[in-house]
Amino acid sequence: MSDHDDQEMSDRSEVITLSFPARADLVVLARFTAATLAARAGFDIEEIEDLRLAVDELVVSFEAVQAGGTVQLRCTQSGTELLIECTVEPGSDADANQGIAGGELWGADGELSKQLLDALVDEHGREHRDGGPCVWLRKQRAHSGR
Amino acid sequence: MSQVSEENGPIVVVEGEVDLAVAPSLREDLEALLAAGHSTLYVDLLGATFLDSTALGVLVTIREQCLGAGGELHLIVSEPRILKVLQITGLASAFPIHDSRSQIPGSTNGDATDPNE
Repeated sequence: MSDHDDQEMSDRSEVITLSFPARADLVVLARFTAATLAARAGFDIEEIEDLRLAVDELVVSFEAVQAGGTVQLRCTQSGTELLIECTVEPGSDADANQGIAGGELWGADGELSKQLLDALVDEHGREHRDGGPCVWLRKQRAHSGR
Repeated sequence: MSQVSEENGPIVVVEGEVDLAVAPSLREDLEALLAAGHSTLYVDLLGATFLDSTALGVLVTIREQCLGAGGELHLIVSEPRILKVLQITGLASAFPIHDSRSQIPGSTNGDATDPNE
């Protein structure tokens, strides 16, 4: 990827949104989407693999993924950076809904998940947004050109 | 997921992406082996291409149960991506890790390898 291509990328911001039922067997969709966008943005294979795992950790940090609801993934590519934000709209499971409303994130494996995110991305966090929790990560492409 | 009976103990073979969708069945298989009286178990991850925190959580839980029963949970891993996940989380030193089945204890090829080397 040339410096000219990088300049063109940095001049525009692209947003891709993905919505899917919060089911364990569909988390792969989030990984696939993130990997595809990272490849388009010129991330190398190691960075793409890091991002695939990091996005997986974002999605599974919602206990609700195991109990219903709808996962919303918003990916913003700005130049050589990807910002990925994940929220879950409550489903029909009352206990899970209470967890989402209360902002309960990071299940039993939460500490492992945080360690992975710390190592794999430049920045990550969680916050309340539009009445529910949002987990996000930001990853910058390491090399400016290839 | 499949199982292989070896002299040293049962080996659970896991292939592909080991994530939230696979972790529950991995736990069930390993807990069934523990319930059957095996205290030392092996998980063959040679064919695994992805491992997330939910799968790691299962391995950590089963490891504790194995230790409680006087045994160990061994991992057979050679894929760099999987080893990287174990190293990031500090678990590379918590499990006996072998890079092939021939490296497991009792074989003629030697003991566990140290992935930190």
